[in-house]
Amino acid sequence: MKTKITLLNKTYEFNSLKEILAKANEEKSGDQLAGIAANDAQERLAARHLLADLTLSDIRNNPVLPPEEDEVSRVIEESINEKIYQSIANWTVSDLRENLLAESTANQEISRIRRGLTSEMVAAAAKIMSNLDLIQAASKIEVVTQCNYPVGHKGTLAGRAQPNHPTDSIQGIRASLYEALSYGIGDAVIGINPVIDSAESVKQILQMTKEEIDRFQIPTQNCVLAHVTTQMRAIKNGAPSDLLFQSLAGTEAGNTAFGISVGLLDEANDLIQKEGTATGPNLWYFETGQGSELSSDAHHGIDQVTLEARCYGLAKKYKPFIVNTVVGFIGPEYLYNSKQVIRAGLEDHFMGKLQGIPMGVDVCYTNHMKADQNDMENLAVLLGSAGVNFLIGVPMADDCMLNYQSTSFHDIASVRRVLGLRPAPFFEKWLEKMGIMENGILTKRAGDPTLFI
Amino acid sequence: MQENEIEFIVQKVMEELQRKFPAETKTEQIAKTNEDGLIFTENDWKTSIPAAVYQEGVSDLIASTPARIGVWRTGTRPLTKTMLKLQFDHAAAIDAVGGEVLEKTLAEFDLFTVETCYENKETYLKRPDKGRMLTDNAVRTIKDKCTHHPQVQIVVSDGLSASAVETNLKDVYPALLDSLKINNLSAGTPFFVKGGRVACMDHIGEILEPQVLVLLIGERPGLVSASSMSAYMCYRPRKGVVESDRNVISNIHPLGTPPVEAGAHIGTVLKKMLEQKVSGVKLEL
Amino acid sequence: MGMEAIKSVGIDIGTSTTKLILSELRLGRVSSHFALPHFDIIDRKVTYESDIISTPMKNGDEIDLMALAGWLEQEYRRIGLSLSDIKSGAVIITGETAIKKNADALLHYLAERSGDFVVAIAGASLEGVLAGRGSGSSEYSKKVKGIVANIDIGGGTANVAFFQQGKVLDTITFHVGGRLIEIDSAGEVSAVSPSLQLWLFSKNFLVEKGMRLTLKQLSELSSVLCKDMLDCLVGKMPIAAVKSLVHSASSETLPMIDEVMISGGVGRLALEVPPSTLDDAAKYNDIGPILAGELIKALKNYPLSVVEAAQTSRATVIGAGMQTTKISGATISIAPEHLPLRNIPVVKMSYSDTALEQYIERFFLQGKELFHGNFEVPFAISLAEMPYLPYLKLKELAEVLGKVYTRLFPKAAVLVVVCENDMAKALGQALRLQLAADMDVICIDQVVVEHGDYIDIGEPLNDTMVPVVVKTLAFS
Repeated sequence: MKTKITLLNKTYEFNSLKEILAKANEEKSGDQLAGIAANDAQERLAARHLLADLTLSDIRNNPVLPPEEDEVSRVIEESINEKIYQSIANWTVSDLRENLLAESTANQEISRIRRGLTSEMVAAAAKIMSNLDLIQAASKIEVVTQCNYPVGHKGTLAGRAQPNHPTDSIQGIRASLYEALSYGIGDAVIGINPVIDSAESVKQILQMTKEEIDRFQIPTQNCVLAHVTTQMRAIKNGAPSDLLFQSLAGTEAGNTAFGISVGLLDEANDLIQKEGTATGPNLWYFETGQGSELSSDAHHGIDQVTLEARCYGLAKKYKPFIVNTVVGFIGPEYLYNSKQVIRAGLEDHFMGKLQGIPMGVDVCYTNHMKADQNDMENLAVLLGSAGVNFLIGVPMADDCMLNYQSTSFHDIASVRRVLGLRPAPFFEKWLEKMGIMENGILTKRAGDPTLFI
Repeated sequence: MQENEIEFIVQKVMEELQRKFPAETKTEQIAKTNEDGLIFTENDWKTSIPAAVYQEGVSDLIASTPARIGVWRTGTRPLTKTMLKLQFDHAAAIDAVGGEVLEKTLAEFDLFTVETCYENKETYLKRPDKGRMLTDNAVRTIKDKCTHHPQVQIVVSDGLSASAVETNLKDVYPALLDSLKINNLSAGTPFFVKGGRVACMDHIGEILEPQVLVLLIGERPGLVSASSMSAYMCYRPRKGVVESDRNVISNIHPLGTPPVEAGAHIGTVLKKMLEQKVSGVKLEL
Repeated sequence: MGMEAIKSVGIDIGTSTTKLILSELRLGRVSSHFALPHFDIIDRKVTYESDIISTPMKNGDEIDLMALAGWLEQEYRRIGLSLSDIKSGAVIITGETAIKKNADALLHYLAERSGDFVVAIAGASLEGVLAGRGSGSSEYSKKVKGIVANIDIGGGTANVAFFQQGKVLDTITFHVGGRLIEIDSAGEVSAVSPSLQLWLFSKNFLVEKGMRLTLKQLSELSSVLCKDMLDCLVGKMPIAAVKSLVHSASSETLPMIDEVMISGGVGRLALEVPPSTLDDAAKYNDIGPILAGELIKALKNYPLSVVEAAQTSRATVIGAGMQTTKISGATISIAPEHLPLRNIPVVKMSYSDTALEQYIERFFLQGKELFHGNFEVPFAISLAEMPYLPYLKLKELAEVLGKVYTRLFPKAAVLVVVCENDMAKALGQALRLQLAADMDVICIDQVVVEHGDYIDIGEPLNDTMVPVVVKTLAFS
């Protein structure tokens, strides 16, 4: 593996693939905090030149975190189809990029290639792709999954209704849910982040959302985003849950900090297969986000883009219904400003899609980041163009429980309208039946939550 | 009936109405202007749904959550007022992160100031590790000025919101002192840490070795409140303490966890830490 | 915190029947671990239901105390519980029984012998509300747009409570009940309740002891009875027009109702096929089955949808057992040696930014005038509609409350304050620091009480919270 490069008489030498991967990244405060970022813009480009010339086999043969030491690495390694891998092992990362972007490469071919790729190869490609590259390559990929109803078709954009409440008030959650539905949002999932991580509380919220789904025959699925063990307890106590949720990290140590392991996820998977309320076959909802491994000191010196790609490698094992990166939630020490957030959103979406993940994005920021609502609107439109499966819908983008800003019901409706995207097919029919939408356009009735009282 | 009698009755009725329906009477004041310009209050940002199918139900929905619902739209976009209100709240949050606690506020409670290694606001945001360590100067100062091995050490810090300290310290702090008195606890010498992160507790713990430490620190500002404070508490703080070893009361501001009630509760928590010789998830409250 | 469930008993002594239920109220933390600890009842379930027995009477107007007490003892033995296991609950005397000679004495006698913190409650409006909570009306109203009326018809009265979004709007009680006329299988009238006489007279119905009536006649009478009640409920007739039928009402005009639920013994009978023979009709020796059948028939003439109740004959007892106890905690101030406190009247006040001392004194003097029986705890102060008080204002409030209370009630041993807002720890602490050492402070919060309510405060659970029963007599 080549680790040395001379650009216009200046020579750069790197110690490892891990270092090349890290230094090839676009500037991110998280890599700087970890002390692994490029020292200057030219060193960044040196790393990128080297990376572009590495073969996929170089990447597989020089693991950033050996499978013997980490179960996430094992899951990724075990998922590889050897025949397909052999057919592309001699490609350089540059070849991979150009193949993905070639006019002749369509969804079908990408679906084949992905079976021979590791998460690190996917991350490598992302690092040498521009923002528009990431958009165009991702836009070719269609990942359709089904929980109760399918989402992810080309030409559609779904929304998660996220009707959180600062004290988990059932009435309060219901009120925000009605608002979401009245704007045509909720086709991806009705998913609530609870404040109280207890099985009783989770069960109550699941029951309420299930009742509403049944009452109005809404073609969607419900979920409460508590820790997976809390959801398991609630389900064992009879709570009606369509999906299981969990946050993932890209290393075993990161997952330990989240209180999970592959073994626990396997056990949870058995439970939702047996006791979940949904049709299936896809019964998981995962969330990820660049920087979470560093925040729990579980990053092993690996950069946050590569670690993020590994989350999707792990997620794939459980055939999730939806996955989203919570792109700007974790703070300015990982993504400092809107430029970094936008880049991360496009990277994550591409890396997920290339690995066959039904990707959505929580386009978001916290108030101590150098970003504002305009930046989020920009990223939402970019992702809409890239074919993102779903965005997060929060009343006026302001989550009064998690204390951050995401995208609003209005924003999702606007992206749909501007780009000519439709809700998920069954959900659109339902919106028509409820008189909220006609020919893909919101009617006069839309925006009135009292339609559901 | 005499005219003044009628007037008296009318006044009584108005008073009664005022008491019963304070919100309604407020709405009458909407869109006040004077010669210099517009005067905005909470109500002036309100928008409404024209021809809701169940008009009576709108206010119940809105009252059930602080989320911004029932706001209506133009096409698929929010109305102007709704958008300006969101931007206004964001502006308050941005200013809270960038702001500084006034010297006079600290003087009121006899708090002297020391600094962490945060250098400046940008470094503070990018390098949380620097906000966890006090400067050498600060270490000398507190060694010099503070009681060593106190039972309770109180520390105040701006953290991510200077306005949290400005807004809440005057209520949380004296209620906290009362709760120490009620629980027969004694406090050491309190001080203010500029540019602090939660884990600066550990460094201070190493220096002063208190039995328990409580840190009142500004939270990351949200849009509901840019002035929210947290109280972190830890038994024998020192290097190597993990998050689950600390107890916290968060969202302290006049519209969230009431500041005086939070302050009053801290003494009870500290007392239990001292009794059980443990803090965090293992503490039985 | 490891939370055991509390066992709560409900006992309903009605005009014709008496029953008991035992329930388990599970407590849990309902606030996040980053917030102040707040606990509440998170699950209620009935664990035992007694048989429904005939209310033992000594003669027409006296309840057989010894027989009831014996039955109670036997039930407790059967469940395998001692009095100290029962942590809360309520005994309620319903319908006409409440006006029986010894009702009051009986109520307190039973309450004291039913468990540590079992309270005695009475009153037609409260009964209607408890029935509506027990029948499922209250819960159901949260899910629908309109107003739901729960009509609980027992032997002596029909107690109606109006619910909207789980809140009680109004109550009204009618002299309509299955046992108001007692008959045998030949149609011979063995008794007519005096409370029905006025209405019978106003309608020119002649019904007297010893008369023989046909099924048709009894049906017709019942039908008119139902029609008058329903006309009044839907606003077709004002309350004043059916005065002879109305026992009491919380307001002069009733809210417009959309749906009704029928509970009580008659509610249960309404689920059965109406009687076709006198023999059938008189199986309980009263007009209950006929009344039930006529009620269902009459309801068809009104634009009301009738929703099936989750509980019928046990609605009130379930309401009494499961819905009376509230929890206050865990940031409160208590003086355990003074608990439990029973039947403390409430003086409600708000807050005044100016002339606070005169403001408070005015309320205290009112309280002093109204309630003068208990020197140790003359009344509890309810602080409602309070603005958020900064520390200095709170301290001032504590000073003034303490000062005026000590001055006006020199013999008082405890100051009891009930706050609507989450402020009891801070206020209690400020009061404690302010008052002399021989005056104790009980300050609890997040409980809503009204002027004229009575409040019972139980012994602390886990040192940090107390069960509270608010006995509300009027509704807004």
